Amino acid sequence: MDSYRLPKKDDLGFCNVLISALGGDGANMAGKILFKIGCEQFGLDGGYDARYGSEKKGTPTDVSVRFCEPGTPVRQSGPSSTPHFLTVFHADLIESLDLGRGLLPNAVCVVNSIRSSEEVRNSLKLHSGRIVCVDATRIAYESHSRMNMPLLSVLCHELNFPDAPIRASIAKQWPRAAEANLRAFDEALAGRASADFVPGDYPLTTPQVARGPIGWLNMHNGGTIDALTHSTHGRDNRVAGRGRVPQFSKEFCHSCGICLTVCSDPGGLLWQEGRMVGIDDRYCKGCMRCVEACPETKKGKALTFADNGILEPGI
Amino acid sequence: MANGMITTLESPGKSTVSAPQRILLVNGNEAVAQAIIDIGYDAEGYYPITPSSDAGEVVSKAFAEGKTDIAFIVATSELAAISVCAGAAVAGGRVVDVTSANGLLLKAEQMPAIAGLGLPMVLNLSTREVSGPLNIKNGHSDLYAALGWGWLIFLAPTVQAAYDMNLIAIKVAEKVNLPAIVAYDGFHTSHANRRIHVFASRDDVQAFVGPPPFKKAMAGENGRFSLLDVTHPRTFGPYMNDDLINSKVQLDQKFDRAREVIAEVFEDFASLTGRQYTCVQQYGDASAERCLVALNTAGEAAKDSVDELSRRDEPVNLVVPMVLRPWPAEEIADAIGEAKRIVVAERASQYGADNYLANEIGATLQRRGNAATIIQRTYGIGGLNFTHDDAIEMYELARAWPNVPDENEKRVKWYHGAWPGDPDYNPPATIEPIRADQCSFNVGQDGKVNLRLLSQMPPRIEKHSACPGCGIFSNLNLFLRGIDGHVVMLFHTGCGMVITTGFPLTSFKVPYFHNLFHNGTSTATGVVEMIRRFQKRGDLSEEITVILVTGDGGDDIGMDQLIGAALRNDPFIVFEYDNKGYMNTGAQLCYTGFRGQKNSNAFVGPHQQGKRTHHKDIVEILRGTFAPYIATVSESHAVDMIRKARKAQATVRAGGFAFVKTLSVCPLNWGMDEHVGPSSVEAMVNACMHPLYEIEHGITHITVDPEKQGKKVPVTEAFAKMGGAYRHLTTAENAPLATEVQAEVDRRWVRLKALAADGLL
Repeated sequence: MDSYRLPKKDDLGFCNVLISALGGDGANMAGKILFKIGCEQFGLDGGYDARYGSEKKGTPTDVSVRFCEPGTPVRQSGPSSTPHFLTVFHADLIESLDLGRGLLPNAVCVVNSIRSSEEVRNSLKLHSGRIVCVDATRIAYESHSRMNMPLLSVLCHELNFPDAPIRASIAKQWPRAAEANLRAFDEALAGRASADFVPGDYPLTTPQVARGPIGWLNMHNGGTIDALTHSTHGRDNRVAGRGRVPQFSKEFCHSCGICLTVCSDPGGLLWQEGRMVGIDDRYCKGCMRCVEACPETKKGKALTFADNGILEPGI
Repeated sequence: MANGMITTLESPGKSTVSAPQRILLVNGNEAVAQAIIDIGYDAEGYYPITPSSDAGEVVSKAFAEGKTDIAFIVATSELAAISVCAGAAVAGGRVVDVTSANGLLLKAEQMPAIAGLGLPMVLNLSTREVSGPLNIKNGHSDLYAALGWGWLIFLAPTVQAAYDMNLIAIKVAEKVNLPAIVAYDGFHTSHANRRIHVFASRDDVQAFVGPPPFKKAMAGENGRFSLLDVTHPRTFGPYMNDDLINSKVQLDQKFDRAREVIAEVFEDFASLTGRQYTCVQQYGDASAERCLVALNTAGEAAKDSVDELSRRDEPVNLVVPMVLRPWPAEEIADAIGEAKRIVVAERASQYGADNYLANEIGATLQRRGNAATIIQRTYGIGGLNFTHDDAIEMYELARAWPNVPDENEKRVKWYHGAWPGDPDYNPPATIEPIRADQCSFNVGQDGKVNLRLLSQMPPRIEKHSACPGCGIFSNLNLFLRGIDGHVVMLFHTGCGMVITTGFPLTSFKVPYFHNLFHNGTSTATGVVEMIRRFQKRGDLSEEITVILVTGDGGDDIGMDQLIGAALRNDPFIVFEYDNKGYMNTGAQLCYTGFRGQKNSNAFVGPHQQGKRTHHKDIVEILRGTFAPYIATVSESHAVDMIRKARKAQATVRAGGFAFVKTLSVCPLNWGMDEHVGPSSVEAMVNACMHPLYEIEHGITHITVDPEKQGKKVPVTEAFAKMGGAYRHLTTAENAPLATEVQAEVDRRWVRLKALAADGLL
């Protein structure tokens, strides 16, 4: 393994990898495994930092892995804001979270998408580098693995990590899921599509900084929120729903109200004047509690699992 | 949450080192836990708080696996946890605790007492901002609160130092009989995974820190005594008047002794490991005109900036204190050297005054006749990262000083990274306030519940960011459909508040107040007293129902204040969502959890079978307050819940206190499918694990009797539906444990039936 050299380095000697995902996707585990593989298999040093907070399942988060050659002082903390490598679990988050910001020149972006590399490049506004698209959702589903596995596999490949030791590490880490994970690993490498882009279309961008319209000049006393002007009422939550919402068949519905009593995300069910009228697919997170509770009557069952078992979120 | 992914690599085999080391890939909390395990403590008092929680979880897991025999005690609060430590220490034990932020401040009463009583111990502080509005990220306001408490304070800027300083701190603490804090940055260090060196052999660690103190304490040989020496009784913690000042002189003199001991212990540690620590790290050019002083991760990050400026032929100096108490005055002044302009960057502010370190450094320099300019910058409060770019800005500020164009940057004290906002920002209203007349479906309905009619009740809360299938808001919204008119909501800290009020947006359409983890009942008392007062004066015309929402954890740590409110019979409703754990901090055990339940600090292993005790019954605890209305509800029994909500509101309208407890599934931490919540709580009700009943003025009524309905099921049937945290209790191997739970559930059910059968009880 002594021959391994980091493909890219910043001024401090680090190769920065950022993984953007939602809570519950397994991105933290992917980051941790990647760091472990780099240290154990390739003798690298560095750090793995996550943007931990009180993020719940379904809310955006990111994970950062920074690699350096042994002997390089590891002094910076917190996630990298200027990645050489970006991995995106949900392509529909690219624009809302402005994931392309801070990408270094000749960045490599591994994106879970069935879209073309050109389309993804345009939504990332990538200055230069490579876009690698892989249908991680489908591969994970078909191989009974998780979405983090195909993405990790392509990311490792792009980092020039040889496949064999990575496959061995994955098999060792989760012995019981080894077969499924390795299948996902291989299918991702076989099914990926990439394209390289030269500078010219989009400028380089600086990293994001926290700067909202409310600051020390105009924040209400004690950080109070005005509920009438700052309600989550209009929140678009489609990302967390992962594209799955129950199917509502109005003709079978008696508006009995049982669904309302179990809905985990009040606001997800649309009722008007005492009648159930549908699902707010901008908000419902797709827990399917209402499907379980909806009574089967002579007419039928009004709330059912949608038949689109697998979707790329946002498409 | 601990995930057991601590990795061991091959030893580096340094020949200069006399104690062999091995390499671990761990985060700061795991490094602390490894140190705790290696030191071989007698006891750890524990209460979860982000971001320190997993430091305890890893120790608890090691206990379950038989890798440590530590007495690991999960207390009801932070104050309780440190008091457990005080008890163990006065008995002669070697003790440790971990905490952050509000946890430290809740311990505050006990902290100076532990120091004054001369009880050595180590408290790991994963630093976090203490604030309202609540923040869980980094800040040093907790650390600075402790400056005057009489504790040694060691700083750990890196994951490596978090391990090392734990070993050093306990050795120093026991030599001088002072307690010690080891402070490492929350998230930036606690959750940063790094490659570190640890002792390969636990024997080497224990040889370094010395034998456990108990035998010497019994013999009076280590400057302390043991409470357990019955052959020579002593009174610990007497009442003391004028003499106290002499005790304080002793306390201060211990710090003088500690200066010498720390230097010796740093040397001993270096000879064993090759890792040399000093009270103050000086980095860069000590003769430079510009100097930056920064603690922990900021100081570490700034080293890269010093290197970068050095490459540009710009000599600068960097001073990173590693010990704050005793204050290393001489070392600080020496390290600052020839600097003329010193930026003291602190992750805190002393509001309305000069900052903490800036003051201390100013006083230190003045004693030397050094009139260098001190520029104060507060950075990173609430977690904003401090990188080498920030440090370069600080050095640039020192270079330009006092010719700084920006009006705010020109100030001696200012906030780096704060932003003013847009004064013209004036967004339109997106919702209408809820009117009382839109919520009038319940009065006069008696027991009749029409869900279709109640569907017209406007939701008081909507569009939160909970995990899919979370039980909190299905329960709360159902309950609120039984509540008419205006509502003011108060929340304890927990998932429920975090997922609804992420600034600058709120999911509440009604007035809402969060006031920390355990104070909600007393806070509600203040609110209802003012409602009464302002209404009486004619200054407030609306009728308002106040509801405090708490998790089951809030009724552990806040149990005394809950009982107080019930005893005062204050007119508000407490609605407890019991999800059987501290889910917001990562699934640690709550006293409500079932015996045998898996928690992140109660593992299932050869030496421990999950949670050790049976589930707490808060309703029966409250029975003794004789509050007018106490009830249990379940989202599986919607009509029953709405009837009880009506009764609770009628109770507070009549001037009394009402407590209602519901079960709330946590699909994430119970390990269950997102859609099965309602059916699993139904199974818990049918298994009599959560009987549905009410106590009105001391009289018990069972409202849903699964036996009479012919629906009673064994607890294992419910456990099977409750997910991975419980499923192991359904296996043949764990049958004895499940039988114990069944026996306890049956015992309580039979007793409840007897109470309900008697017209007086």
